[in-house]
Amino acid sequence: MKKLISLVLTASLAAMSAFAFAGCASTEGGSESDFRVGAIYINSQNDTSGYTYAHHKGITEAMEQVGLDPTKDLSIVDNVPEDAEQVKAAVDQLAGEGCDIIFGISFGYIDALEEAAAEYPDIIFSHATGYKSNDTNFNNYFGRIYQARYLAGIAAGYKSLALGNNEIGYVSAWGTEYAETCSGINAFALGCQSVNPDAHVNVYEIYTWGDQDLERQAAETLIDTFGCCVIAQHCDSAQPQIVANEKGVYGCGYNSDMTAEAPDSHLCAPIWNWSAYYATAIKAAMDDPSTFMTTVGNYYEGINSGLVAVSELSANNEPQAQEAIDIATDLMKNGEWDVFSGTALSFSGDAGSVAATQTDKDLVASDGTVIAAAGEGSIDDGVIQGSMNYYVAGVTQVNSAEG
Amino acid sequence: MSDFHLVRRADFSIRRLIICYAVGILISLGIGALLLSGLGINPFEYYKRMLTMGLIGNRYAYKCIEGLLKIFVPLLITSLALGLAFKMRFWNIGGEGEFLIGSICAAIVAFNSGSMPKIVTITLMCLAASLSAGIIGLAVAALKVRFNTNETLMTLMLNYIMLYLIRYLGSTKAPWNFFLNPESERPIFGQFADNCKMGGIKIGNFTLLYSVIAAIIITVIIYVYLKYTKQGYEISVVGDSSATAKYAGMKVGKIVLRTMFISAALIGLASGLATATAGTISESITNNAGWTGIIVAWLAKLSVPAIFVTTLLISVLQYGCQAAATQYPAIDSNFADLLQGIILFSVLAADFVATFKIARKGGQEK
Repeated sequence: MKKLISLVLTASLAAMSAFAFAGCASTEGGSESDFRVGAIYINSQNDTSGYTYAHHKGITEAMEQVGLDPTKDLSIVDNVPEDAEQVKAAVDQLAGEGCDIIFGISFGYIDALEEAAAEYPDIIFSHATGYKSNDTNFNNYFGRIYQARYLAGIAAGYKSLALGNNEIGYVSAWGTEYAETCSGINAFALGCQSVNPDAHVNVYEIYTWGDQDLERQAAETLIDTFGCCVIAQHCDSAQPQIVANEKGVYGCGYNSDMTAEAPDSHLCAPIWNWSAYYATAIKAAMDDPSTFMTTVGNYYEGINSGLVAVSELSANNEPQAQEAIDIATDLMKNGEWDVFSGTALSFSGDAGSVAATQTDKDLVASDGTVIAAAGEGSIDDGVIQGSMNYYVAGVTQVNSAEG
Repeated sequence: MSDFHLVRRADFSIRRLIICYAVGILISLGIGALLLSGLGINPFEYYKRMLTMGLIGNRYAYKCIEGLLKIFVPLLITSLALGLAFKMRFWNIGGEGEFLIGSICAAIVAFNSGSMPKIVTITLMCLAASLSAGIIGLAVAALKVRFNTNETLMTLMLNYIMLYLIRYLGSTKAPWNFFLNPESERPIFGQFADNCKMGGIKIGNFTLLYSVIAAIIITVIIYVYLKYTKQGYEISVVGDSSATAKYAGMKVGKIVLRTMFISAALIGLASGLATATAGTISESITNNAGWTGIIVAWLAKLSVPAIFVTTLLISVLQYGCQAAATQYPAIDSNFADLLQGIILFSVLAADFVATFKIARKGGQEK
């Protein structure tokens, strides 16, 4: 009985696959354009918000910009955990489908992509948030989100000045452990201080990239216990903004314009526009893949390329904010000035006549160490991306490192 | 309505079986086709791609076979091991946890192996994995024999303990934590040195991993063990009735301990092989073999040859679903999993219908 059942199961499925094989031989594969894009996502491609969503949107928009059809010329393996074996399996599938460039969006894909780049020299591998690369077909890409955070800091600074409250809150996934979060907090604080020199940023670390309950509790603590008047955030959901809205204070979201979630309190949010990179990368790979590493290379752009920006300022902002943000944006776009340098910006004047003053001044960490001496240019990108593990003066973490 | 009840069919007809399975599979594919059409995808194209695992027109077709075998080997050994315990009516649903602890211990060996030759490191890794998983299995069996604890709950809960243990190791940066890559700012698992990675026989571009050969040898050994040895016979007697076994003078406790140790140690071995193949560890290293193995073992009715075939079919289904989903941007892996679930469910339902019938009380058949 047992054997018979298994025999039949085998026979029926084998017959079906044989039928399918036979069917394939006679039909030919659908016509495809020459260039194919591959993507490996950490979450689902059908997400409607969040990290994977932002990248998927960026890739599909970029493909349309360069004349590819994302419904035909794009192969995706999604829900791939940060597990080298599964990333390699995903790469094998995408390579088999004939992808010419493969994007991996999660940090933990790093080793598997490095290996894959050596194994498939004809395919370009491009890794978001990583730090590895080679000379021919493997690069990494990320953006100067700290620039956008500085701009959001300006809006927050004006709000705190108007309210006469120097305490500003910041709900952060991580603190000084990661340069990405740390540089964001510091840039935001410097933005606040450019308007309100006495602004004090209180960081509440939640020790995870996303947990709606913790995000909510952190914002409540910052408002109720520390009396913060603006809540900024580096975490996934809009909970901190929703709390700010409920409690009648103000806030700066992240990733998307959270005015929708917090209509009465949201000022503006630092946002990503990934298509700026994806269009550049796909176009370069289509033109001449052999020069990809010289034309694109390791990509680290900011406001200038449109990769990062602040969302449109809501009506909750102080009247001077837009002008000041425009001035700072132009300075960064032209490459005249950057956030982490020995020159501090300070804004003054009423709406219609806002002016920025550049003052040479030591950029100091909260323990008094000089990060950049007065008059010095921007610090090394390596520091901003990798080794920044201290807060600037005027920032304190309110919850202890023990969590 | 309450006078209907289920009766095991006394007669057996191969025709009925074929019809049940065929109808079951067709219904599931039909449901899938409706969903696919709703998404604007030609279901025939999709199924073609699924059943051929994307091999047609693939530049690196040999990679598909390698990928398939990487799913197949751990699932096969795990299913056989679970089958061994199930045969004794010992509900070991802790395959995931046993796999994970095996993987952790294999990684401990790998990260501290220095420059020992490959054959030594990989043997040690497999040994560490088998022993650690075996001890966990033995502990559960001992509690069952001594205190009659519920092994289903014990093994189930151990899955989560092991999962959180590996998650803790993977996210905690500390000087003692040799599991992590020291170069990375963010905690990620390190890669093994080359002497800890599974090798294989090169056939052109294709690499036949030694683990595949090991899996086939293990299958033969388990087949012989169950069919021709005294211990194998004891397992089936205990499974049929432990009272009978006791009456026949068998030491039931000892048999339970021994079998559960072998079952868990085999899962550990699967894990050791998989870990060496991956060249690193992760919390998803099991690829759900501990769960899927339960389905395989039951679909195959615990028969060793049938487990081999069923594992192959389920691996093809898994790999094919993923391969098909990759090509269509509108289809995500959640849909692939959904489709796989519908097919498995309908096969189980077909099996049920083929084995049982609905009868009316009072002997009048419907």
